[in-house]
Amino acid sequence: MKIIDLFDKGTYVYTSEVGPVKGCVRDLGNGNTPACLQEARLLQQHVHAVNVTDNQSAVMRLGSLAASVKLKENGIEPIYQITCRDRNRIALQSELLNACSLGIDNVLILTGDHTTLGDHAAAKPVFDIDSVQLLKIAKGMTQGFDMAGHELTQAPDFCIGAVVNPNFTPLDLQLLKMEKKIQAGAQFFQTQAVYDPRLFEDFIRRVETFRIPVQLGYVLIKSAKMARFMNEKVAGITVPESWITRLEKTPKGGAREECVSMAVEFLKEVGPMCQGIHFMPLGWSDLVPQIIDATRNGSPQ
Amino acid sequence: MIGTAYKSTEEIFETLKDYQKIVVTGCNGCAKVCKTGGVEQVASVANQLRDHGKDVLLEVTPERTCYINHTMTAFSGKEQELQQSDAVLVLGCGGALQVVRQATEQMGLTIPVKIGLNSVGHMDTVVAGELAIEQCQECGDCVLNETGGICPVTKCAKSLLNGPCGGSKNGKCEVDPSRDCAWVLIYNRLRALGELDSLREYKEPKDYRKMNKPRSLRLV
Repeated sequence: MKIIDLFDKGTYVYTSEVGPVKGCVRDLGNGNTPACLQEARLLQQHVHAVNVTDNQSAVMRLGSLAASVKLKENGIEPIYQITCRDRNRIALQSELLNACSLGIDNVLILTGDHTTLGDHAAAKPVFDIDSVQLLKIAKGMTQGFDMAGHELTQAPDFCIGAVVNPNFTPLDLQLLKMEKKIQAGAQFFQTQAVYDPRLFEDFIRRVETFRIPVQLGYVLIKSAKMARFMNEKVAGITVPESWITRLEKTPKGGAREECVSMAVEFLKEVGPMCQGIHFMPLGWSDLVPQIIDATRNGSPQ
Repeated sequence: MIGTAYKSTEEIFETLKDYQKIVVTGCNGCAKVCKTGGVEQVASVANQLRDHGKDVLLEVTPERTCYINHTMTAFSGKEQELQQSDAVLVLGCGGALQVVRQATEQMGLTIPVKIGLNSVGHMDTVVAGELAIEQCQECGDCVLNETGGICPVTKCAKSLLNGPCGGSKNGKCEVDPSRDCAWVLIYNRLRALGELDSLREYKEPKDYRKMNKPRSLRLV
């Protein structure tokens, strides 16, 4: 199922995200289910698709393709994320052929966090090509040709997504890149996590003329400590001080409840401005269904 | 210039542990500017070696050690010291060392040539005597005409050609918040110049054949 078909039908699209485990997911017949698959199952009846991250934060894990295929085998629609950090143009194109061959219908193309931010900080960063170039290459492949102009025996066929960061200053510069991504072949966008309604509104007003589906990105905030950590360490995210204060006042044991109510309040206000919501639950996938139920603008088919 | 920084004293002594008679060669070009291999630093390292019990037979600082004729000129008349030495210690870049090795080979000598510095990049001195930074990767296909004279290949940690990643915060780089995001610098510069349209153009992937090592340059 291609995500773009849902947007085209006017469906309000809910997606969530799982990070593959640091280890294998081979079925050893002992009844153990890997965490990423357990999380995805919690989301199964509630979201249209689930992003699978590509060695997120430059931390080495199970590959996003293998994890995406596992989701697909379990009846969960994956959005396969692929970054430019770890592979050159040969490997990236080959991986896209692999993805289509293994049944992937949705690909989300990103630059990728820098190697120095992860758990193999001494690794050689690749960045042979950038995200705009990879979008254009992927689009070209769906039209039957690799980036060198050689014809493919069978072209891949998938919906291609991209990301944009509304928190970026100057925003004009981020929008210039977003336009380039659209021209290169991006069919929908997921945003970096946003917590400021006015900021998101300004962003949406600026991108309305692009006529492209946008999903608001939302990272579930579990604690004041986590919010501060995100502000300091996570590239491109800013949690407002007022949110942190509110979390600090939350009594012990009330964090999950507060996480839900903050999400619902925010998403009720901001969600209607765009075409969908993309959750990044960071382990709290079980809360996503109730947040969706409380903010619903449409229902997954 | 080629930036250089000292290896640790321990590493240098470990490298020279099997050699007693040492020739110390500096470089009066880049290493002099980096304060790692000029006449003064050669003398200082030679003294350290003496204090450590080594015999320093010769201290020499060619004009630019990476230029074979300068090094040959500096070694001219010093054949005896070189012949008697157990090793040559070079206080210069990796290129300087290899030219010193070439020079000794041309002189018919087979002596180990060791390095006391690490080469740390093509550096530009932006604050005289104080700070040098890397601004050019010698990529072989210069994009500075389209980027306001600020190199994204070098100054963007990811060498992005079509604009910034999403990780920049308050104009700073996700890799090092003390460093400016190259693309914000480029944007500000192009806006000031009235050349923002340049950012709208799609930039093709780089042809890395132009960076494939080892490169050479015909000078005739």
